[in-house]
Amino acid sequence: MFIADIRKDFYEVVANQRVVLLVAPDIDALCACKILQALFHCDQIQYTLVPVTGWQDLGTAFLEHKEQFRYFVLINCGANVDLLEMLQPDDDSIFFICDTHRPVDVVNVYNDTQIKLLIKQDDDLGVPSYDDIFRDEDEEGEDSGNESDEGSEPSGKRRRFDEGAVERRIERQRAKREWEARRREILFDYEQYEYHGTSAAMMFFELAWVLTKDTKDMLWWAIIGLTDQWVHDKITNMKYVTDIATMQRHVSRHNHRNEDEENSLSIDCMRISFEYDLRLTLYQHWSLYESICNSCYTSCSFKLWTLNGQKKLQEFLADMGLPLKQVRQKFNSMDMSIKENLRDVIEESSNKYGMKDIRIQTFGVHFGFKNRFLASDMVHATAALLESAEKDDSETDTFIKALDALSRSNIDRLHSGIELAKKKLIAIQQTVASCICTNLILSQGPFLYCYLMEGTPDVKLFSKPMALTLLCKYLLKAFSLCSFAHGVLDVEKGTVIVVGIPPESETSDKKNFFGRAFEKAAESTSSRTLHDHFDTSIIELKTEDRSKFLDALITLLS
Amino acid sequence: GGLCLHRENEAKSEGRAELIPSIKLRHCCLLRNQRCVTAYLYDRLLRIRALRWEYGSVLPANVRFHMCAEELQWFSQYKKSLASFMRSLGGDEGLDITQDMKPPKSLYIEVRCLKDHGEFEIDDGTVILLKKNSQHFLPRWKCELLIRQGVLEHVVS
Repeated sequence: MFIADIRKDFYEVVANQRVVLLVAPDIDALCACKILQALFHCDQIQYTLVPVTGWQDLGTAFLEHKEQFRYFVLINCGANVDLLEMLQPDDDSIFFICDTHRPVDVVNVYNDTQIKLLIKQDDDLGVPSYDDIFRDEDEEGEDSGNESDEGSEPSGKRRRFDEGAVERRIERQRAKREWEARRREILFDYEQYEYHGTSAAMMFFELAWVLTKDTKDMLWWAIIGLTDQWVHDKITNMKYVTDIATMQRHVSRHNHRNEDEENSLSIDCMRISFEYDLRLTLYQHWSLYESICNSCYTSCSFKLWTLNGQKKLQEFLADMGLPLKQVRQKFNSMDMSIKENLRDVIEESSNKYGMKDIRIQTFGVHFGFKNRFLASDMVHATAALLESAEKDDSETDTFIKALDALSRSNIDRLHSGIELAKKKLIAIQQTVASCICTNLILSQGPFLYCYLMEGTPDVKLFSKPMALTLLCKYLLKAFSLCSFAHGVLDVEKGTVIVVGIPPESETSDKKNFFGRAFEKAAESTSSRTLHDHFDTSIIELKTEDRSKFLDALITLLS
Repeated sequence: GGLCLHRENEAKSEGRAELIPSIKLRHCCLLRNQRCVTAYLYDRLLRIRALRWEYGSVLPANVRFHMCAEELQWFSQYKKSLASFMRSLGGDEGLDITQDMKPPKSLYIEVRCLKDHGEFEIDDGTVILLKKNSQHFLPRWKCELLIRQGVLEHVVS
């Protein structure tokens, strides 16, 4: 069921209890986790935090903790599947689910006792009504009850009653079949597309606000959570802009609270500011030139993998009057005179080159003299740490590192994340260039398909879901056509990771049908697949089954 | 000292005075060795005393393996002495001064598990599973021992 009052029905319920936090591996979940941890520290609510990377992990973690804990909080996992069916909990386990995955499974919506959804109901959910999907069992009993009654009637009247009874029974069965067919249709419509709702970090920030315990750190984490949804293309532009406006109200509120003419804050205090900044990834921590070359938006607009594209870039820079020497330097070392009006200058020139959206609404943070970060910088850095392909790090190790990087006291970790992010972006750029230049992208009818063989440089980097998805989107933008599926080989396990993304368009509603498509294709070909990721559009498949799976997918989607 | 003198006198009386420097030298060496051994044993003693503060009153088997019987006995006497001292503080209940070695900043702390430790019981009987890389928010006094042993790490944010 949906929780109406997050303070009364969630926070006060867990206030004197011990809780298990099960957190999914994405940046929004990490931010939501930080906010919740801060709140729990405030009120001394004891908890145990367990990172979970997929459904199997979730199941294991639940089994390990179910004896000792009654309350489970799931962050960015659990809403889109029948949780009670999957975990088979005892009657006294209670699950609080704050998850951006949609559609929310109907069982989760209509369960009154054990599942509590920390999701806003006005969030464009389209949940089918109860009567359309659930049928009371009494009606079945009525049938048999009537029959047995009628069976004891005296034989004289029996024939007439029997006919009536038979007719009524046939009628009931027909109605039931009709109802079931309609139910299947409704459920199919409801469940066919996967998409995302409001950021989990924003939900928990709202909780903090309602409790008047919100701090600037929590606000910053909420902003990062929202930005993660935008960077990884999980929400529509409109939703992003709406949510930015919500965050802006909070930012103004926080900024007005502390500063006035007499008491100005020390330079070390944290300041969050609204920025209408450039869409050049990590540009303030890199050189402008590298950032332009490795940002998806600019690279695809110029088509920088072609010679023509390179030329256009040089023209673009010349048009703005930016000397190459300056532009290749570290951003912080660029001349002040150039940096001053940089954004406006770039915006003007970009319009001439067909890049209308070079600027985007976002937020930046500023503490101490050296530390300035944009929200997107934080997202890229933390994502790179989360999915870093170090040999010795298990997935929980990287989770911990990424979680640490979100604290302001771990600036070094954040900087190392930024360096990793740069490498990742360069790797993506190079892979895209080579895929396009060597024609690795195949058209399979209803979708484009690209397969990275083992031995491709950086293939280990792309065996992680977020990096792979980014690569996909980049490739798709570069190709700008239909929907896209992508496979990456993981040699050790003999499996392929497949990601499917919907067609690219300005007004796309970001709804992904690949989840259901993958399921059906796997079923119909009995391919050995592992649907372990919380995002249903990412699966693992045995290498040998790849071709028949693809064939089934093509038939399904044509 | 006494023995040396005795031997010296013997040497003198037997008319073999040229042996006296050798005797003195040998004696100095013996004394020095005795001092070294005593210093070593004393250092061990100080470390064993520190073990009580670090590990608590039950020593792990691998530590006990390296101690001789007399040292174990000394340890147990030290334990008793410390316990009766602690009982004498703080009125009727006594005061456990081996807790909170540094002034605590908060009642509950966030800890991260560095290695798989299995189940861990806290005061009210509930059991927490300490799995590698899980994080927990627990009362400080329960965690101190495990932090000292390196199983948990205090997370400061």
